Amino acid sequence: MDRALFAAASGMAAQQRNLDTIADNLANADVVGFKGSTQTFAELAAPGEVGLGTVALGTRTLFSQGKLARSPGPFDLAIDGSGFFKLVDSQGHYRYTRDGAFSRAADGSLRNAQDLRLAGVRIPTDTLSATVGTDGSIVAKFAGGTRTIGRIRLAEFPAPERLRALGGAIFEATPDAGKPRDLTPGSDEGPKVRFGMLEESNVTIIDAMMQILTAQRAYEANAKGVQAADEMLRIANNLQRG
Amino acid sequence: MVAARTRLEIATENLANVSTDGFRRIAPRGFLTTLGVTIVRQSAREHGALRRTGRDLDLAILGDGAFRMRDREGRICETRSGAFVRAADGTLRDAAGRTLLGLRGPLRVASGAPVDPATLGLPAQSRLQSGFLETTGVDAIAQMIDVLAAERSFESAQKAVSAIDASREKAADAARVR
Repeated sequence: MDRALFAAASGMAAQQRNLDTIADNLANADVVGFKGSTQTFAELAAPGEVGLGTVALGTRTLFSQGKLARSPGPFDLAIDGSGFFKLVDSQGHYRYTRDGAFSRAADGSLRNAQDLRLAGVRIPTDTLSATVGTDGSIVAKFAGGTRTIGRIRLAEFPAPERLRALGGAIFEATPDAGKPRDLTPGSDEGPKVRFGMLEESNVTIIDAMMQILTAQRAYEANAKGVQAADEMLRIANNLQRG
Repeated sequence: MVAARTRLEIATENLANVSTDGFRRIAPRGFLTTLGVTIVRQSAREHGALRRTGRDLDLAILGDGAFRMRDREGRICETRSGAFVRAADGTLRDAAGRTLLGLRGPLRVASGAPVDPATLGLPAQSRLQSGFLETTGVDAIAQMIDVLAAERSFESAQKAVSAIDASREKAADAARVR
């Protein structure tokens, strides 16, 4: 009986974790460059023993491409393909993101909403306007003509799913993710930089709603299992009539 | 009553794994013995439905066979859950940190390269489907019914025990009168 009780309870706990993950995805469904995650489950069993229920192993980030949407910002960029924008924070630490909503700061750097600077790019103060090509090259228009003033390079990881999410769409390198490698955009099969576009999150509301429904029902079914186990204990206790 | 309890254990265990990819349903099988009914656990043979994920390293096996995995302590186990993540050294790991084994030790794949089914040692007629995961083999409705049925059968067994107890009590009373 205890085994049944614990198995059902482990199912409830796992579905609770599942709902947490789905809720986080839903909450960030409108965040530019956000990547949704899924919870992974495994059967809980000691080697050579019968199972004891289930366990939530943790989340897995899905780096599938989000939809590209046209955006009017002066430095809105999206990555069409793999890779990350490389950002530098005020302490000089590198951060990685697929959120390409940048704006020009007074010092000529391109900064995102969290004030992180896009690495390796500086826009001269006398620039009238600038465009970015699919290969990441920045072409600036000056009073005296146009000139290429730099190139945006992307970073790639051997195991991007091992990056640590720092909230929103910002990621931090970890030893498990491997060493970041510079990636030059614009090649035929490689990623491309899209200027005047932003990558929407890869969470689809309908998928998330469906996941909530299934998780909720699974939670309920396991709760019924706890109830049934409890009911059996009650019946067993009533065997001895006073 | 013991048989009903085992049935409930199996049903709740299946229900707990209603979201576990690649889980094989545990099927209760009853035997009539001289001591009553004994229930044994069996791994059901049917496979779960496929779910599309769109990730290259989510692999589902069409047909029989399983992925051979090695855990951190070096133990080998088999699973049909194929949600792999490429580690920095090119090996494929699952969420529990186990490494996917090919025919010759841990399998290594280059970034973005597909997994060659021939290197996994699957049965000849089985195929590998990338971008899909095999979902659980548990049907929640059937398991719910089993939970209820086990509960009721436990209850009837209790009634039977009570009835036997009552008739023995009567017999004891009768003996006392004489």
